[in-house]
Amino acid sequence: MLQIIKNEYRFLVRSRIFLGISIAFISILILAIFLGNYQTQKQEQTHKNAKDHVRQQWVSIDEMNPHSAAHYGTYVFKPANLLSSLDEGVNSVTGNVLRVEGHVQNEIIHSEASQMQAVSRFGKLKPSLLLQYIVPLLLIFLAFSSVSNEKQSGRLKLLVLQGAKPLQIILSKTLSVWLYGILLLTIVLSVYSILNYQSLTAEILTRTGLFFLSYTLYYFIISAITVFFSARWQNATLALTSMLGIWIIWTIFLPNILMSSAEKWHPLPSRNKFQSAMQEDRSKGLDGHNPADERGIALKENVLKEYGVDSLSQLPINFDGMRMQADEEYGNSVWDKHFGNNRKILREQKQSFQLGGIVNPFISLQNTSMGFMASDNLHHQEFLLQVENYRRVFIKMLNDKQTFGGSKTGNWGWKEDNAFFKSVPDFDYKPTQISNVFSNYVLDLGLLLLWSILVIVLVIFGTKKIKIG
Amino acid sequence: MRSLNIFLYEWKHLVRSPFKIVALLLFILASVYGLHNGADLYNKQNTEIERLNEKEQKEKETILTYFDKGEKGPEKRPWVDVTTPFWSIWYTPTYHFKKPSPTIVYNIGQTEQYGFYKKIDMYSSPYDADMAKEIANPERIQSGTLDFAFVVIFLMPLLLLVLLYNIKGQEAEQGFLPLIFVQTGSKNWWILSRTLFYTMLLLVVLFALLLYGALLTKIFESENAFLPIFMYTAIYLIFWVVVYFLILKYGKSIISNTLQMIGIWLLFAFIIPATIHQWISIEKPTNLMVDLIDIKRDKTDEIYEQQNIDIDKQLFNLYPSLKQTKIAQDTVAIMEARKRSRVALINVAMKNGISRLEEDNSIKNNLISKTYWLNPVTYFQNKLNHSTNTHYYDYQTYRNDIQVLVDKRIEIMVLDIWNDVKVDKAKYLEYNEVFSKN
Repeated sequence: MLQIIKNEYRFLVRSRIFLGISIAFISILILAIFLGNYQTQKQEQTHKNAKDHVRQQWVSIDEMNPHSAAHYGTYVFKPANLLSSLDEGVNSVTGNVLRVEGHVQNEIIHSEASQMQAVSRFGKLKPSLLLQYIVPLLLIFLAFSSVSNEKQSGRLKLLVLQGAKPLQIILSKTLSVWLYGILLLTIVLSVYSILNYQSLTAEILTRTGLFFLSYTLYYFIISAITVFFSARWQNATLALTSMLGIWIIWTIFLPNILMSSAEKWHPLPSRNKFQSAMQEDRSKGLDGHNPADERGIALKENVLKEYGVDSLSQLPINFDGMRMQADEEYGNSVWDKHFGNNRKILREQKQSFQLGGIVNPFISLQNTSMGFMASDNLHHQEFLLQVENYRRVFIKMLNDKQTFGGSKTGNWGWKEDNAFFKSVPDFDYKPTQISNVFSNYVLDLGLLLLWSILVIVLVIFGTKKIKIG
Repeated sequence: MRSLNIFLYEWKHLVRSPFKIVALLLFILASVYGLHNGADLYNKQNTEIERLNEKEQKEKETILTYFDKGEKGPEKRPWVDVTTPFWSIWYTPTYHFKKPSPTIVYNIGQTEQYGFYKKIDMYSSPYDADMAKEIANPERIQSGTLDFAFVVIFLMPLLLLVLLYNIKGQEAEQGFLPLIFVQTGSKNWWILSRTLFYTMLLLVVLFALLLYGALLTKIFESENAFLPIFMYTAIYLIFWVVVYFLILKYGKSIISNTLQMIGIWLLFAFIIPATIHQWISIEKPTNLMVDLIDIKRDKTDEIYEQQNIDIDKQLFNLYPSLKQTKIAQDTVAIMEARKRSRVALINVAMKNGISRLEEDNSIKNNLISKTYWLNPVTYFQNKLNHSTNTHYYDYQTYRNDIQVLVDKRIEIMVLDIWNDVKVDKAKYLEYNEVFSKN
């Protein structure tokens, strides 16, 4: 078997076309990594400038009423991710700017895609674009005539007469094509690692390792099916056209159709319906800005009772801050319900889409690729959750200051000094660890593995029916 | 006659080739699916617009009851007084829509990147959070919707490849190419005629599909876009026919021709647009809207902290007729009027910020347009986006319309406040009418 693989490579290296295509393609791959890295660095710089600017504004507040500061709020910008230089995932279509303020959980806005006219339907020149769409085609081109040529030239018969089993021949051919794919993948990850060696962590290595694994499985599926077709069909053209058909259906047709269908099976509410429903639920709760609000009055009675006083002016604290926080906590339960419902629907959509991997391993590859590169919707949602958790801590700090900072109820002119605003921590994004989300990708990896096993079974049983001469 | 014979031969060849028939049927199926996706979006947006119009109507009726009952506003909001211009205009519900063009059935374009309705008040801006796209799965948006334009732009070249890939190569491999050249007289004419057969077949299929799409959203009733769209798809088809024809003319075998054809398709559909996209992102990274944030917070605070004299000066500059109003002479009433009018100055600052932002985006768009000569796929995509009103610039026009409505709202509010206008039911209805028109 090893001898057949070695022979395959000898033949390939002798082909000038193959060498030319390989060198050109590897150059494009390396260029894609460079450009991807450079873009991430530029985006990181833009992000840092914006973050520093907004933080500077916050820590420069001389004096302000804490609740006014809650309305002044702050902004969180979606950070650029080093891994996204390999696969950008959803980053160009999700928003980048999220306003953090009192009373409301905002949505992230200002996506890159909305800032210009259409350019590329399949995204930027990232390694993932080449690895997902182009490399499989290269493998198909390498493999479609690998056995049929041997048949036509009569070498296959000769190999069998020399003692090689047809299964061995097909597996060897598959492995030689597959190894070419792995070589390209290794080049990508090696160049990426060299460029980012200072930032490599165990987390990044684990993620890139899993990224590598999912691509190797997919490349094996593609290589084995093509070699099998090459052996099974009478001529190479039929093998090539069949595989091109499969490639088109797997990569262009099905992902689009299945994702659209998943969205139809589990529909999300329209923005207006979503906001109206939240508004309605919100109106059932306490209105922090309205002293005449019934629920606010009930809270006041409780607080007066608790402190054993008759009026707000006798309270040692500022009841306005307390009412604001009660309003905030009610609001949080409303946001949890509605945003939580949207997250649940998105999860259901994703699960349905993942099942598409049963008929299309490319779907599993796409899911794992962007998932392991931390650029899929799951990671985006994790980021949004972190921002919302920060918002809650941020607003509570301001409301607590209003309540217990020494002012009296109704004293809206009371202001806190700069030291306090400096003490309010900035948002610190903690990248999601793969160990926490790995379970979400087990199905995708499992389906890729299952496909690989099925393809091996197909090769083993299908080889028996192949005509040698 | 000679061409007719070639056409007849090609027809026989086609019907005897299950692979080509299946590819053609798949293409038609995908196109119909794409057209229905477009029609679904058209209906969905129209239903939402209808729902919002009803909502607006209900809100309006609620306010009208205050006038009928002689009330000032909602019971729980005692500070509201709908007989004053500020509150009356505050409670004048105005939605502005980007109504979907029936041609959206052919091409969704950039529709899913933007919102298509906006509730307008005095504090609105075209870059508000509610201008964001509809809630959708980002992974679906990223992979895009399979619309008719996608089928035409990306799958039609592949279908053409399937239909043409073995022209000449098959005859060459079977060794009777010289015989054909002798029989037909001209090599080029023979390849061209065979290619033309498939071109005409695809033109007929495209025309039929476009007609089918036209029935789904009644394009002929409202717009004159059918022929330009057909023209663009036809030109796009011809572009690919020419490219493939040259490959076939100079190619020697089926496999080499197929590989070259798929290589060219990959280059135009993937590599070139993706490289340009990457380059634009490096040249002009995503704008994080820091300028607008500064205006929304610091500039707004600055305006609120300005001296009365400075505010008056700017307001009189903006609306010269304010100087002569009754309120302008009333030292007490002017305070409330001034407070309510500051929003006009914030609006001016926002407009300046937005124009810088749009300029920045315009640079990106110009960079993209400059690459059209080597990037035909993006060129045709944007041409179709223009024809179906789903281009970036169509949404910019929509944003501009919103700004005009905000300007008008603020101007009327400021003038009516300073002229001490008392709002009654008739005036409220007038506001509703005026604010809903661009």
